[in-house]
Formats: sequence, C-alpha cells, structure tokens
Amino acid sequence: MKHRIAGLAALLIALPVLAAIAPNTAAPDFTLSAQSGKPVALTQYKGQVVMLNFWASWCGPCRQEMPLLDSIYKKYNKVGFTMIGVNVEPDPKAANDWLKQTPVSFPILYDTDSKVSTLYGVAGMPSTVIIDRKGNVRMIHRGYKPGDEEEYLSSIRSLMRE
Amino acid sequence: MRVVRVLFALGMWSALCACAPIEPWVKPYEREHLADPIMSFNRDPISSVYLEHVFGTREGAHGATGAAGGGCGCN
Repeated sequence: MKHRIAGLAALLIALPVLAAIAPNTAAPDFTLSAQSGKPVALTQYKGQVVMLNFWASWCGPCRQEMPLLDSIYKKYNKVGFTMIGVNVEPDPKAANDWLKQTPVSFPILYDTDSKVSTLYGVAGMPSTVIIDRKGNVRMIHRGYKPGDEEEYLSSIRSLMRE
Repeated sequence: MRVVRVLFALGMWSALCACAPIEPWVKPYEREHLADPIMSFNRDPISSVYLEHVFGTREGAHGATGAAGGGCGCN
C-alpha cells in the first residue's frame, strides 16, 4: 500500500515532464481542423514522411522559413512526403492575414487551444518535428537560423530512402 | 487509516508540486504578446545590445530585458 501511494505520488509529480516527445518514439496522434474547416488527423499520413512545423505569425524566424518550407513541400510532396504547418495562435486571424500575402501550398492546421503544442512539448518557436513512414519521431529541431533548411533536407532525404 | 494515508499522499503531492524545476512560465508558443515589438524597452536593437552589455559589466545585471531572436524563445 505504502509503495503504491509512493509510486502514484512519483507518477503525479513526473507527469508534466512526461508530456514532451523524444526521438525514436511513436509520434502522438492528434486531430486538428484545417483551413478548409475539415478535421485532419496525423494518422492519415502514415506511410509518408511527415514534417510538422509549429509556427506563429508573430514569430520572425517562422515567417522567414515558411517560403523555404513551401519549396521543400513542392519538391518532395509527389514522392511520399508531406508537411503540416501547425499554427499555435489562439486567434488565427493574424495568421490568415499573413498567409494571404505569403501563400503556402501545404496544409495549415489550427491549434487554437495549444493542445498539440503541449502534447509535443514545443520548447521553441518555430519547432520542427520530422516523423518517419512508420509514424516515429526522428528529428526534433528548435528555432530557425538561415541554413537550417539543409538539416531538414538531409533528414527528409534519408528518411525517404528507408 | 487508509483515508488519512490517501489524504497525506494528496497533501504531499500538492506540496511537492511546487518543487518542480523552474521553467519559463510562458511557453514559447504563448509568447504572442511578449514577442510584440511594443514590449521592448528600446526600439533600437543595436543600442539596447550595448546598454545591456554596460549593465552586465557594471552592475552584474543579466537578462530580463526581453528575449533574443524576436522574443520567440528560439535561442
């Protein structure tokens, strides 16, 4: 009994720490609504290499990398790769206004209540998670500096070959 | 007795929760208002870098003047 209570207490204390993801573990599934209003689930992209990008219109580096992400998406989309832009803003209006000026062709999902950001333990903006064909997290990248797209590309290319 | 134990465990849990490692209170994805340029002390980023250096060397002051990289917690 004592051990059980101690175990329970330890688990309750450790819970907030367990929320973040780690490489080589299954990517937690989620469903969010897309621009079109349709719900999109991560599982529907199983079998493809998926790049999740957590972004916001108030984040400078995010805005900087969006056109680059779009070009990566356009190049590899036909050969089993997909990109999902997860917008983290509670009110997506600013994001939509920005997207009108800088349109992207990959799906944008709205995480208005930060559920998915919490689930993935987003520790910086932008955050990029690359998921392999089997649905495992393979790469976690925080922030963006010019040149980081090479890291994304080499990871995507090696995962596509698997 | 069992009730007392459970209450004790719950009490300990709520007390120990405060001992969690200190994290930024605002998560990176919640920095919408903090990342707004109006939140910076100084509109000139180069001038503020020099001022921060001065405060750092003279007074040992560090940080709390905003975040690098547009305040989005990326660095």
